[in-house]
Formats: sequence, C-alpha cells, structure tokens
Amino acid sequence: MSLDLHKIAGQIADMAAGLGERRAERDAHLSLALDTLSTAQSDVIEEKRALSRTTFLVAGLRGSLTGRHPSPALPPAYAALAVDGSHIDVDRHLAARCYLINLGTVHIRYGEQPVAELGSEPRLFTDEQDMYLRDPGSGRTQALEGSLLGALRAVEELRTLAALAEQSPDNTPTLALIDGSLILWSLAGQAYQDFVRRALIDDMFLPVMDRLRELARSRPLALAAYVSLPRSADVVNALRLDNRRCPYEAANCDMHCGSLALGQRPCDAIAGVMDRDIFGELLGGGERSDVFATTSSIVERYYGEHEVHFYYLNSGEEIARVEIPAWVADSTELLSLTHAGLIDQCRKGHGYPVAISEAHEQAVVTGGDREEFRVMVEAALGTQRLPVYTSLKDRSKRVKWL
Amino acid sequence: MALGGDARVGEVVESSSTGFVSQSYRLYGAPHLGALVRTGGPCPAYGVVHEVATRGIDPSRRPTARGEGEASEEDVYRSNPQLEHLLRTDFRAVIVGHASEGGTLYHLPPSPPPIYAFVHVCVADELSAFSASTDCLRLLAGSGIAALEEVVAAFLRHAVAAQPDPQAFLAGAGRQLAALIPGDFRTVESILLRAAP
Repeated sequence: MSLDLHKIAGQIADMAAGLGERRAERDAHLSLALDTLSTAQSDVIEEKRALSRTTFLVAGLRGSLTGRHPSPALPPAYAALAVDGSHIDVDRHLAARCYLINLGTVHIRYGEQPVAELGSEPRLFTDEQDMYLRDPGSGRTQALEGSLLGALRAVEELRTLAALAEQSPDNTPTLALIDGSLILWSLAGQAYQDFVRRALIDDMFLPVMDRLRELARSRPLALAAYVSLPRSADVVNALRLDNRRCPYEAANCDMHCGSLALGQRPCDAIAGVMDRDIFGELLGGGERSDVFATTSSIVERYYGEHEVHFYYLNSGEEIARVEIPAWVADSTELLSLTHAGLIDQCRKGHGYPVAISEAHEQAVVTGGDREEFRVMVEAALGTQRLPVYTSLKDRSKRVKWL
Repeated sequence: MALGGDARVGEVVESSSTGFVSQSYRLYGAPHLGALVRTGGPCPAYGVVHEVATRGIDPSRRPTARGEGEASEEDVYRSNPQLEHLLRTDFRAVIVGHASEGGTLYHLPPSPPPIYAFVHVCVADELSAFSASTDCLRLLAGSGIAALEEVVAAFLRHAVAAQPDPQAFLAGAGRQLAALIPGDFRTVESILLRAAP
C-alpha cells in the first residue's frame, strides 16, 4: 500500500494555515532585525561576542554589517573549475560490502579561445582499509558510511578539484568551485571520536587545502563553496548580541536565559530570521556583503590556517552564501575573482553557477543507476560463484506478494 | 567501385535494414540534406540523408534561451563552451544500396550496418560512380520518408554536380522517376525543377 494522500492532504492544509498565521510574526521579527542592523556597531558586537557564551553560532565580524560591494570587473579571460559528487552508500542488504563515489568534473575556459571539458570518474571502494577509519593508537574503528561517507565525499571533491587546478597549465585567473559548504558539518558535535576527525581533517582535508593554497601562491586561483538557499543565521545571531536585543554585558545564554521558555528570551524578538532574509533586503543585484568569519567549533579547533570565511551574494536570482578560505578572503584579487566570477557563472547558469550545475549533471546517480549497480554487483558475485544473499527484509520489499 | 576517402563525419547509433541514424562527430557537423553517405562494417551501406536533428544529449534537459544579452548567436556558444558537450547533432539516412565485392548494388544490404560503424560522406568520384546508374533512385523514391520530394531533389542536386554531363544525367533521372512515380507528372517535374543546377 502506498502513501494515503487523502489522509495527508488535511495535515498539509493545516501546515499551510499555520505558516500563514506565523507570517505576520516572522515579518515583525525581520523588521526588527533590519532595524537592529541599521544601528548595530560591528566592533561593539564583536567585542561582546568574544566575552559571550552563546547557544547559537555567531558570525565573526571583520567589517561592517551593512557593507555592500558591487560586482568588480570580470577578467577578460578566466577559467571555472567545479567538482560535484554523488555516492551509493554502504547497503547492508547488499551481498557485498562496498560504496561508490562518482565525481563529476568541469573545466570551462572563457575568453578568446573558449573551451570546456566535462567528465565523471566513478570509483568503487571495497578494500577493508577503505571501509573503516582506524585509530592507530587504540585500534578502534569507525565504519565509513552514512554522514561520514558524505564527509569523505566532500574531501574527495576537493582533492579532485586540486588535481584539476594542478592540471590547468597557465596563469589564467581560475575560480575553483564546489557545491555546498567548506565546513565538514557532519564531524561537528560529539557524534564521532577524535581519531575520526583527525583522520578526515588532519590527514585528508587539510593536506588538500594546503595544495590549493600552495597553488594559489603561484597563480591566481580562488577557491569558493557556493550554498544556494542558505538556511544559516550567523549574522542574524550576531544581531542578537546587540545591546538592544541582549541586555547583558556579556551574553551567557544558559546562565541568563536557560530557564526561559523558547521564544521568551529577549533576543527571540528576531528569532526565525535567516541571514538571507536581511541580505535580501540589503543587497542589490550583483552585490555582495562584507566578509564574515565562521565561528563553527569544527573550524576553530581543527582548520588552522584554513579558517572559513563567508559572504552573501545577490546573484540576481537569490541570496547565496559563498564560503572561502582565509587565504582567499585576505586577498583583494582572489576575493574579487570569486565575486565577479560567481556573478558571471550565475548569469550563464540561470541563477546558479553553471560550472557547478554541469558538474552535478556529470555526477548524478539516478535511482535507475542504483538499481543497475546492485544488479551488476550481484551478477559479478554470481560469476565468481560467490553467494548472493540479501536480507529477507530487502527481499520482501522487492518481491510483492499477497 | 573503389570506396572513397576518409571524409568521416560520424558513427551509426541506430540501425535497421532500411536506414540508420548517425551521431555527428561535430555539433552541427552533419552532412547536408540529400547527401550520400556510406557506412563502414562488413556490408558497407549507402544512405541518403533525409533528416538532421540537433538536440540536448540528456532528453530530460531541454535547451533554454541564453542569448538575450549576447550580440550574436556565435557569442552564445562562445560564452557557454560547455554547450558543445551537451548538444548533439544526429542525421538519419535511408539505405539506397550497398557495396559488395562485385561492385555497387542498388538494393538493401543483407544485414544492416553495425552500431558504431563509421559514416563517411561520399564526394566527387564515389558520388559520381554511385549515381551513374539511375537505379540509385529506386530505393529512395520508394522509401516513404517524410518530405520525399525535397530529399530526392536535394540528392539529385548533389549528384548532378558530380556528373560530367549534368543535362543527360537529369534527363535519365527524370525518366527513372517517371517510372518510379507513375501517373504523377507534376511531382516528377517539381523534383527536377528543384534539382536543376
């Protein structure tokens, strides 16, 4: 029996009605956030942030909260590199333990001699050392699957991007792009032991970032991660620290407001507003905000010199969040390249960077592909006269019976 | 008849006893309507191009307008070089004969060209030799393809340019068409008018 849509229709209508009722409250919060933004002093907030202990992520303020920058001139010739990935996760119902990562690559050169190269590289991981991260000290292991495999894929995307950049032979300004965030969010929190973070960040992620930064020392290469429809509120959370929203000299959310119900804290007057809401009001088409710093614990503790910065960009179609490493944020030339390049990429891609879009198209693994992959694995096992077993649960899903 | 030089333009991607579809190596690089092409394979087939189509490689992605801010159509491609990899040009040919050890035969080959068979455009001597016999029109005229008259006229325009005596060639072609399309003088006349150099 499939989903009973008749039964869910009423619940959907209730949800829409609830959202409609909360719309006025959300508008009031946005209006207050914009009012706070117009008078907030970033240096005062930044000083307060350093003294505060908040339960929410607050942007580090390097410049003005209301800074607006028009798109700089695009170099007459530039290259856009992009890598995006898809994966087939470990499936415990499959007869063989393995996972697949498919990376789509794009290299487009614009200018007098425009040319493009598109490709994809699927790779199957089956070896024991590929299936687990191992702590050399204690011998403890962590299976590479689920969100951890997502983090590994993100690192592999960057590694491939670095290889693409190394193969680019000349000094053409080059914008190296990935989809999503530079922050390996799945490693934040207490979900994994420290050796997992060391393996993925220290041993894999940071060396790739080092390679990219090293390349950028000898050629104009800018790395940027593009987040479409961002749900982040780091800047709005900085406004929560404004003295008009938070009456305490140094905020300590748990101590001052821990006993208050959700929505009752003074700063909740601007709750629910996202950064894209305020920058949607602030930024004109093609403009970017000032650069902010993420204060994510995973970045502050583990990223070292590759601290992640970000800005918001009005691509002409939406407010996007652009994440860049510190060595891009600190270079006027590279920062401008990300800004002008992304505006051009979005113009060519109907609102989304065309190089990332095409990398995604190269990487995508469809539902049909997944089923075909499964059939190929089982056929290969059968050829080797290996047992092709599966769980009864999986069999019951695939074989419909009465 | 000796097979012609290597004016290779594409590969067979769909094949049947009466026709084949080829993917052009270059975007918009298909032979013209009415051109004579020859496949590779064990029974090289001759075909006349009767349809050329350019579309997105991925059928789920429809091309959308990109040129509003561009000065020319060329600029659209210059600004979006990836399009060369995302669009493809295919051409469809109706089989009008095949090559055998004994020479050119103006009937269907015993087996269709294999998928991935190379496709060459026949020019000059090969076109002249193939069209030297008006039998070359028999399969084409009876093929039932869309826009048949236009395709026959286009084929004759190519062929007549390769013939040493164009007038005699057209006269012979006219007689053959009158036999193949009996009782439809107007159609035959219309084709010949469009085929004249």
